[in-house]
Amino acid sequence: MLNVLLLKEKKKFKFPYLGIYSMLIYLFLYIPLIVVVLFSFSGTKSTVSFSSVTIKWYQELLKNSSLLSSLLHSLQVSLTAVFIAVIIGTSGAFFIVRANFPGKRLFITLAQLPIILPGIIIGIAMLIFFINLNIPLSMFTITMGHVSFTTPVIMFQVTSRLLRLGRTYEDAAKDLGANPIKTLFLVTIPMIKTAIIGGALLAFAMSFDEIIITYFLTGSWTTLPVFIYGMMRFGLSPQVYAISTVILFFSLIIIFFMARFTGTRAEELEVKK
Amino acid sequence: MALTKNLAKQKLKEKKQKSFIAGIPITVWLFIIVLVPVFLMFVMSFRQKSGYEILNVFTISNYLEFFRNDTFWRLLLKSFRMAFMVSISAIITGYPLAYFVSRRLRRFRNLFYMLIITPLWVSYLVRIIAWRTILGNRGLINTALLNLGIIKEPLSIFLYNQASVVLTLTYIAIPFVFIPLYTALEKIPNNLIDAARDLGASEARTFINVIFPLSLPGLVTGFMLSFIIALGDYIIPAQLGGNAGIMYGNVVWAQFGGAFNWPFGAALGFILFFIAAVVLVIAQIFGSKEGIFAE
Repeated sequence: MLNVLLLKEKKKFKFPYLGIYSMLIYLFLYIPLIVVVLFSFSGTKSTVSFSSVTIKWYQELLKNSSLLSSLLHSLQVSLTAVFIAVIIGTSGAFFIVRANFPGKRLFITLAQLPIILPGIIIGIAMLIFFINLNIPLSMFTITMGHVSFTTPVIMFQVTSRLLRLGRTYEDAAKDLGANPIKTLFLVTIPMIKTAIIGGALLAFAMSFDEIIITYFLTGSWTTLPVFIYGMMRFGLSPQVYAISTVILFFSLIIIFFMARFTGTRAEELEVKK
Repeated sequence: MALTKNLAKQKLKEKKQKSFIAGIPITVWLFIIVLVPVFLMFVMSFRQKSGYEILNVFTISNYLEFFRNDTFWRLLLKSFRMAFMVSISAIITGYPLAYFVSRRLRRFRNLFYMLIITPLWVSYLVRIIAWRTILGNRGLINTALLNLGIIKEPLSIFLYNQASVVLTLTYIAIPFVFIPLYTALEKIPNNLIDAARDLGASEARTFINVIFPLSLPGLVTGFMLSFIIALGDYIIPAQLGGNAGIMYGNVVWAQFGGAFNWPFGAALGFILFFIAAVVLVIAQIFGSKEGIFAE
């Protein structure tokens, strides 16, 4: 008892330098985003003035037909790219977890390249590829560009889930008399479903605002980020802030759901069911 | 007995075949999206342009031009310096943060982890817009200084220089440094630290002799990732750099836009690819083994 008291006494108050430093970095990370949101409601065009809070920039967005069509283009590109990436990425995850072949490590490293190389390299390389094949820059080329980085994102989410689950559940299903197809649809896929959904959401969020690769593969058919980039050439208009706020808002929603679908807790839920 | 053995062998073979069928889409993807395009870029870098045509010749003149014309390698060196500064700043901000979240927090650890990762997935363009808003001529800092009466005219020193580019790239790079560092720090068993303390090491000494060495692989991976990201960017220098903050990526981009010299652009791109590959190999050898995008 005395010992405990002595120990407690020894633990004197320490000034939380680290905590305060960390909180300052959190502010550094979030203040810029908050600034964008605030500017989108500002009535005056150039500086901040909160005397006139307005939503007129949002109403103008709805009238801007070229902006709306680029938004539609972005949705088309991202949904298509994520759909393709789910198929390639999930099957690829089974491949790199279950199959053994020489050069597997090299294969995995190469498959990671689109997410760790600077986007400009993938952009140039794919541009040269399409021009060599005489494929004109279009929605197709942009979508292929997005398949480049969405695929490994989904593949590595599913891979880590497969590695963590191991084969025990599948072996149990087989022992209980389920055929391979039954095992796949009743055991394996339900257990990796949340990883696929989480990976797909993450890939969608990355694809939706991708510009570095897209900028190389864009002809006259533009996506939303390329369109906004064009708007930025004439200075930052209130409309740019308004559309940025909308994008921020939707990204946060997607990330929220992604966080719920990935991580250890998600699959525990599935197994319990 | 032998029969069952054979049967088992056959089943194993079937299983293997199934795994290999699953490998077809990803292998096709790897060839079409990564290997063939990079190879074609390499081939293009030996071509020569003449007017608006790309000649079907094979020459190393593009690479010679890179070494002969000092604008290009000087710009690459400058980009190296800037990328290095980005990595260092990202570590100075990201390391204490990773230490704090992984070792000091308990209850809200996941929340604070997510709060750092989230900007990674929130629009890249929006974050550029944000920093232009803060640093610009009519931006937040200038407005504040004007209103406080500290300055009479807006200052243009905040935007369009190297510092604004390094700042914004650091902002982008922090999560990339944070993730591998967090993973490395979180894995250090508590009893190692307890042992060090029991043996009389002070908190600072425990950090220097135990925690820091164990976090080194994460540090290397974070450093290399942010270095590559900074080195290859062309949008941020174009948006916030002005003439002073221009980087290697901008020149590469220009060869495909205004300058219209694809073979030379491909050569510049391949040089960047080579540098990135070297950096990644270093990261593979000395860095942490987990991929950054794993769950």
